[in-house]
Amino acid sequence: MTESTESTVQGRTIRPEFTGSAGEYFRIWIVNLFLTLVTLGIYSAWAKVRKKKYFYGSTRLDGDSFDYFGSPKAILKGRIVAFVAFVLYAFVGELYPASRYAFWGLAALFLPWLIVRAFTFNARNSAYRGLRFDFAATAMDAAWVYIGKLAVVAITLGIAFPWFMARQKAFVVSHHAFGTTRFDCELSARRYFGIYIRAGLILSAVGAVLGGLSALLLPKLEQFGPLAWVALLLPAILLYVGYAISYAYMQSRTTNLLWANTRGPGLRFESTLAAAGLARLYVGNLLAVACSAGLLIPWAVVRTLRYRIENFAMIVEEEIVHEASPALAPVGAAGQELGEIFNLDLGL
Amino acid sequence: MNALQAHYFDGKRARRHPVSVLFAGGRVKVIGRDVDGDFDATRVRVSPRIGNTPRWLYLPDGGACVAADNDFVDRFARESGFARGLHTLESRPAFAVLAVALVVFLLWMLIDRGVPLAVERIAEQIPLAAEMTLGEQTLSGMDHYVLRASGIPPARQAALRAQFDQMVRAAGETAPRRLEFRASPAIGANAFALPAGVVVITDDLVKLAADDRELLAVLAHELGHVRHRHTMRRLLESSATALIVAGVTGDIASTTSLAASAPALLLQTKYSRDNEREADRYAVEVLRRSGIDPRHFVSILQRVEHESSKGGALPGFLASHPSTKEREALAREAPAGGSR
Repeated sequence: MTESTESTVQGRTIRPEFTGSAGEYFRIWIVNLFLTLVTLGIYSAWAKVRKKKYFYGSTRLDGDSFDYFGSPKAILKGRIVAFVAFVLYAFVGELYPASRYAFWGLAALFLPWLIVRAFTFNARNSAYRGLRFDFAATAMDAAWVYIGKLAVVAITLGIAFPWFMARQKAFVVSHHAFGTTRFDCELSARRYFGIYIRAGLILSAVGAVLGGLSALLLPKLEQFGPLAWVALLLPAILLYVGYAISYAYMQSRTTNLLWANTRGPGLRFESTLAAAGLARLYVGNLLAVACSAGLLIPWAVVRTLRYRIENFAMIVEEEIVHEASPALAPVGAAGQELGEIFNLDLGL
Repeated sequence: MNALQAHYFDGKRARRHPVSVLFAGGRVKVIGRDVDGDFDATRVRVSPRIGNTPRWLYLPDGGACVAADNDFVDRFARESGFARGLHTLESRPAFAVLAVALVVFLLWMLIDRGVPLAVERIAEQIPLAAEMTLGEQTLSGMDHYVLRASGIPPARQAALRAQFDQMVRAAGETAPRRLEFRASPAIGANAFALPAGVVVITDDLVKLAADDRELLAVLAHELGHVRHRHTMRRLLESSATALIVAGVTGDIASTTSLAASAPALLLQTKYSRDNEREADRYAVEVLRRSGIDPRHFVSILQRVEHESSKGGALPGFLASHPSTKEREALAREAPAGGSR
């Protein structure tokens, strides 16, 4: 797909373009992996920067590509902190299970600060047309969302979760800035509830079919002889497919809704992800990665990224020259790295 | 001389200026319609060449030029040998093939040699007192959820304990070992070792055995787990596995998390089988010293397997224990203990 700009009455629609290729990324990925293994993980920080620089440099919007300046040393420091925290958690937690509560309490206290640091590190190290992005929220703002609103989810036994997700995503987007240009995002919790309920229904439908299938297969397990494990694996695979469809539906609808409700000065956005398209990607990726013993990971990553980028558009209603925000101080990477090792999903 | 066609951004406003960049006499000149810059070439930083992505020249005034012509930039960039070498490695398909082979080799060395060695060394460093706490806590936790008081008569328990203690002495173990009896409908016929030298045997297993020597064989195997501190090692192995898998599949974890959890499972079952083999070897040695034929171990394994084989067996690469056939071979290889 080529980059295109269409001028309409409402404005100029700019579609980003992804110029990277699976072959090129494969060669970068395998060299990164090799050097990471040889250095027992130390090079992973440099590998991460190289990967991000490749993806940013391969993403073109209105004729210009993005740039990433994250410092490998800052990322390495963050990873060491995260590694030590992980080891302490794993070991002390196993030896003294009660310490897990203390650890989680501490983590909950630090969480808002970590989240703000992670977004700030990533934003300030991302640039477009010579201007850096920024994330401008305080740890208190984040605490209000990630502790206050999450507490509501806990009190309502999870029922309020879609509401929380809507508020959380709006929080993240509306605190991002490009130079001094602020973005604004308001999301309807009602629409989020609708999406989550439909995603839940998809999952239940798949579960019902699987339940029937298992009830049919399991009593006859002995007839399969040495291939019995196939009969056990089949429902598991189908369950994954069902999960992928439900997840793809939720992802595509929430992302589309998010961008449709985001504004900047003279700017609108549009996202056209399709549930079927994303589900095909997820299932195809899993099959390809499993059958190639991981060698197709770069291919899977590149095609997922390309699909996401090419289904995004920026609509310029009024041409504005965006300006740099004066003196952005650099931020350490500990927040982001801690988030990654404990598998917090910080992305949108 | 020819000029590099580039876009200039002043770093203050997101406006693109088409410019020509000239490199001459240690100076970098940036010339465009409303741009005219002249910089010391040693103070211009060039971004590394990565694939075919455009190159950035970061200028000392906070501005930057971006150009698509990588080869042109390379002629003027003062990049370190490492940065250039990296790009050479990344651009030749032959190196990619070599890198795949090296990665497979290194991963195998790491998984098969590096991790077991490191885990063994670290496990030795963990103080026994910490292991004791863990063992007692695990037992009281299990007593609460899955274990019930044993129904085996005290006299029978005492007799088995005496034989167990005798075997521990024959094995030359100096640290204390303790045998516990428990009933457990949830676990069935089984025995397991906890850190700090506690071995638990279930009533079902005691009833299933045709001979006390069969029970001693199972207990010898569990003593092997205690001797080699397998609980600690399993903990370390699962952490190492998580790190390796995260390192390799890192950037796909978010799209297909199953792709990351399957290899972790395979690695953990591999380590589990390796630990079982180690415990088996220990058991054979201890049984020989106590004058018990290791074949008793195989006969009880077969009986347990027969009892529990309601469904189909898992294929070898998914099993947590080595196959009974393999273990039978090990027992037969060992010199049979004489008298008993």
